Amino acid sequence: MRRTLKLIASVFLASILNGCVQKEVLDDITLIEGIGFDYIDSKNILGTIVIPVYLPKQAPKNITFSAKAEIKKSMLQDIQRQTADPLVTGSLAVVLFSKTLTEKVGILPLVDPFQRDPGVGSGLYLAVVDGETKELLGGNYGIRGNATYISNLMNHNIKNEDLPQTNLQWFLADFYQEGKTPFIPQIKQIGKDKLKITGISLLKYGKMVDFIEAEDMFFFKLLVDKYSEGLHRVKIESGEAAVRSIRSSHNFELTKRNPMEITIHIKVDGIINEFTGQELTPKNIQELKQQFSKDIQKESLKLVQRFIGKQIDPIGIGHYVKTQTRNFDFNNWRENQYKDIVVKIKPDVKISESGVIE
Amino acid sequence: MFNFFKNSEKESLDKILAKSADFKCLEYYNNKSNISFTLKFLATLVDEKTIQDSVLPYLLEGNFKQIEDVKQIVPLPDIKLSEDISQIEDMIFNGSVLLTVNGKDNKFCFLGAKKEIGRNISLPEVEFSVIGPKESFVESLDQNLNLIRKRIPVKELVIEKKTVGTLSKTKVAILYIDGITNTENVNTVRQRIEGIEFDEITDSSYIVQIISDNQNSPFPQLLDTERPDRISAILAEGKVAIFVDGSPHALIGPTTLVEFFSSFEDYYLNWILSSFFRLIRLFAVVFSILVTPVYVATLSYHYELIPQDLMSTLVASRRAIPFPPILEALFLELTIELLREAGARLPTKVGQTIGIVGGIVIGTASVEAGLTSNILLIFIALAALASFTTPVYRIGNTIRLLRFPFLLFAEVWGLLGIIVCFCFLLTHLIRLTSLGRPYLEPLYPPRMQDLKDAFIRLSFDKQRKRPFLLNTKEPYRFPKKAKKEKKDIEDE
Amino acid sequence: MNANVPDSKKISPFLVFFLIHTMQTGVGILGFQRFIAKTAGYDAWMSIILSGLVVHILLWMMFKMLKIANGDMTSIHTLILGKKIGKILSSLFILYFSLYTVTILRSYIEVIQVWMFPELKTFWFALAFLILVIYIVFGGFRTVAGIAFFSIVLPFYIAVLFIITIQYSDFTNLLPIFDHSVKEILLGSRDMTFTVLGFETLLFFYPFIQNPEKSKKWAHLGALYTTMICIYLAILAFGFFSEAQLQKNLWPTLTMWKIIKLPFVERFEYIGIANWGIVILPNLCICLWCASRLAKRIFSIRQKTSIPVIATLCLIATSLLSTRDQINIVTDFTAKVGFYFNTIYIPLLFAGTLIAKKVRNRETHS
Repeated sequence: MRRTLKLIASVFLASILNGCVQKEVLDDITLIEGIGFDYIDSKNILGTIVIPVYLPKQAPKNITFSAKAEIKKSMLQDIQRQTADPLVTGSLAVVLFSKTLTEKVGILPLVDPFQRDPGVGSGLYLAVVDGETKELLGGNYGIRGNATYISNLMNHNIKNEDLPQTNLQWFLADFYQEGKTPFIPQIKQIGKDKLKITGISLLKYGKMVDFIEAEDMFFFKLLVDKYSEGLHRVKIESGEAAVRSIRSSHNFELTKRNPMEITIHIKVDGIINEFTGQELTPKNIQELKQQFSKDIQKESLKLVQRFIGKQIDPIGIGHYVKTQTRNFDFNNWRENQYKDIVVKIKPDVKISESGVIE
Repeated sequence: MFNFFKNSEKESLDKILAKSADFKCLEYYNNKSNISFTLKFLATLVDEKTIQDSVLPYLLEGNFKQIEDVKQIVPLPDIKLSEDISQIEDMIFNGSVLLTVNGKDNKFCFLGAKKEIGRNISLPEVEFSVIGPKESFVESLDQNLNLIRKRIPVKELVIEKKTVGTLSKTKVAILYIDGITNTENVNTVRQRIEGIEFDEITDSSYIVQIISDNQNSPFPQLLDTERPDRISAILAEGKVAIFVDGSPHALIGPTTLVEFFSSFEDYYLNWILSSFFRLIRLFAVVFSILVTPVYVATLSYHYELIPQDLMSTLVASRRAIPFPPILEALFLELTIELLREAGARLPTKVGQTIGIVGGIVIGTASVEAGLTSNILLIFIALAALASFTTPVYRIGNTIRLLRFPFLLFAEVWGLLGIIVCFCFLLTHLIRLTSLGRPYLEPLYPPRMQDLKDAFIRLSFDKQRKRPFLLNTKEPYRFPKKAKKEKKDIEDE
Repeated sequence: MNANVPDSKKISPFLVFFLIHTMQTGVGILGFQRFIAKTAGYDAWMSIILSGLVVHILLWMMFKMLKIANGDMTSIHTLILGKKIGKILSSLFILYFSLYTVTILRSYIEVIQVWMFPELKTFWFALAFLILVIYIVFGGFRTVAGIAFFSIVLPFYIAVLFIITIQYSDFTNLLPIFDHSVKEILLGSRDMTFTVLGFETLLFFYPFIQNPEKSKKWAHLGALYTTMICIYLAILAFGFFSEAQLQKNLWPTLTMWKIIKLPFVERFEYIGIANWGIVILPNLCICLWCASRLAKRIFSIRQKTSIPVIATLCLIATSLLSTRDQINIVTDFTAKVGFYFNTIYIPLLFAGTLIAKKVRNRETHS
């Protein structure tokens, strides 16, 4: 018995000593938190990574490295030669693409490594940059490092404001979904330490084909997200009001098949945040409500028409029709049906509160 | 029983005893009845005042004609007549006085005049509780048994006595309640105690280790306590208690792992409170074992797990540290262990100083010198604190030890290693038994019935059934109450 | 050697629930969504129900057979085919269970190598894991059942955590229902059966159950629970991934973990994969136990001898498999063998047992 015990113990010890795996000790690695890609020419791109250097009791310092390459991995290889510690991708938070790159080359080949790498999380934010990513990543934003700043910026805008749900998982799900095209937000550097979300880029086969301005994002979010929040300004004769939608939902309905007709019911539950007019009477509120409905109807329809015209489908109308039809033929849909589809918007607005004053 | 000493006849006994200075052999002569007699005893064991006050005057002046008269004339409760020579040695060493009438050597008498030297009943030190009785066991077996008898004054409480140890001749008492306790358990205890072969049993801790089901386990397989209230409660549950003369700790068996994490104070508090505290204690134990291994695993292998906001704090605190996380953790763990060892061996006042020196000076200095990160220091200190929350001291030691294999595995395979180590621990616990009963019960084998007093403690009216584990002869603690009619709010 | 087992070594009937369920859930559950969706698309949840039904029927057959033979698989073989042929056939199962052990262990190590430690050496990790398994099996069947119990109770929180993925899901993906032909759904349920195999171990540990009649209910509940968990995971995955995206992911269940973010843990999959070690551990133990038990019943080899030998062979086989293709070939082979064993051999055996019983009855009557 003792001999077997000894045997087991020694075998075990050996397995522990030999079975060691490579360590990635937290302070001996370089954490990439953000990556940016810029356009050089049709074959080459310029990759920039931003790494935070953490200092005790101070905001982390941002350091960027850049390298020219064809695809992501070889770019990292080049940067490895510039850094003291090995680069790791595990805490990557944002990936940025310059607008030119997105328009000319498309982001697909660049996104692929991120979904393949098990180290990269799905909660990663993708974004298009109006300008050069290298310049943007070179700035200094916030007190927690650039990448964290950008990801927090997106996060809170998705939660409370007009930005629709987006991250790597949403992007991939939309991209692989037949009858839907993906979209990613666009940001712009507006100062040395300031950033701004300027709108939403609509993609088709990974290339940017359209752009939604910040003003229209409210309506876009209503169409795209199942539930959403956001702020919209409504103008009526007696003044202007800021209506915050605290709860909204949308529902599709296939009203007619030949030709296809789809009704989108949009329900908005709003509160009035501010009113510039003299007095907020029930009549005013009623007017506001109607005007708000009208705005939603008009603007949303405009957006949908635009998508159909550009042959993109960020709302997923194709996907919706597919869920209502057995043996759905996507080729026919893309070529014939989508062009001729009739879309109706039916808003249902409720204004429940108007603040703490009468 | 096995005997080292070959020469145990009466003749040589006197000679051997005569070598000791405390052996007294005194001859007296009774004038009235013309009889001479001898008293033999060990002065260190015998209360000479008793001899002087209540033995000698009666023997010298009473109507003492033959040895049988002793019972009538001497006012002592413990008088035994005997003709069995083999008893002499035992009785003398138990503090009896041997009385022989000269010329009639084959008959003799033992007079019980034992000298009791021991401390008085004092406050429980290891298992102190704010609420509840404040008495605790002492070294004297009789005194301890007295405490129990007082709490369970029924005839069914059985006290069996055994003597173990070839040199120490330690008296061991097995306590159980006839009619409740499963005889199988009592038999197991009896057999194992009878089977003990060891020369010197000095404390109940010896017995725990010798009669354990698995002697190679770091887990104690019998619960020990110094509280009479706990013993009486477990006797009522149907467990067996073992008392050892000379030890202020009584043993309880069969026991389970969860019992080691229940403080007896739990029963003195309302069940909601005590359940909450038990859960906190459970959390503390898990935390105490796992926090350093998880720290080492995360920092060495799984940086991805660290939340973005914590990253800067962690990296900044580790930046200047020259050692890998495992060495850093081992260094601090060992420091804490050293402090604990030093503190435990020193008198209370010096111990406190050591605590302050160790905790504040070494901790702060090593962080400032850049040897350890302050975050790990916090974790280690918390882990040490958490390990002190275990109500039974013995299991606290086990927890101290367990951390090290976990650390080793975490260093090798990260989180995966922690899981592998955990599986080893789990298997060990599943395989472990206490007096032949599963140690991990009620977790495995899963028994819902016994969960009522495990991680949480339900109210007393829910505790009608005795633990299923013990398979008691009488499974119910009190008769079933008639179901109350449900009253409405305003009903009388 | 007879099948008599001392009462103190038997397990209570409700533990059969855990034994059946744990054998059915292993590494397969990390990636089954992809396989079933390949043929049956997002109607595949119906395939899961179908295969669940099949499992129940097979379980019913097994209990019937075991009751007639009053023993384990070897007793059934002896009853139908006589001693010699019975022994030969039964000994094939030692190979089957060894193969099963290798498949499970190697697939798990592959997951670790892909997701956590690319440099992890197969041999050394397998060695450590098998030592753990031997330690468990040496504790007897009660210990094995204990590990099975904890392997379900402890990681249960993972099933709850999956709820977090719902906010990233679009369950309209499942519409329209019945978009696939019956044939496709049936094919899907064949693929599904590969995942939920393992309940056949019942044929071997049956004599270790106290009061086997009572355990029937628990065995069926165990199988039902597996079906429910599979449907739960499949529906979550179908909502989470779009169809083409699902086909891209080798381990959809693991990929779903990547989105789970808790206040104190940024990424959950590392904890999940490590935890999965507990889930697959009882599978290895039960397989190894079955193999050694068979060796004892057929060749009268002491289990203390056969377990280390079989484990060593498994260790060698495991470390020989190095590429994903090799692993896939072995996994497919094991799945096929298991599939045919369960769906064809067991019904045949069932018919055989019934006939043997009739013949025997007639013999005693005349």
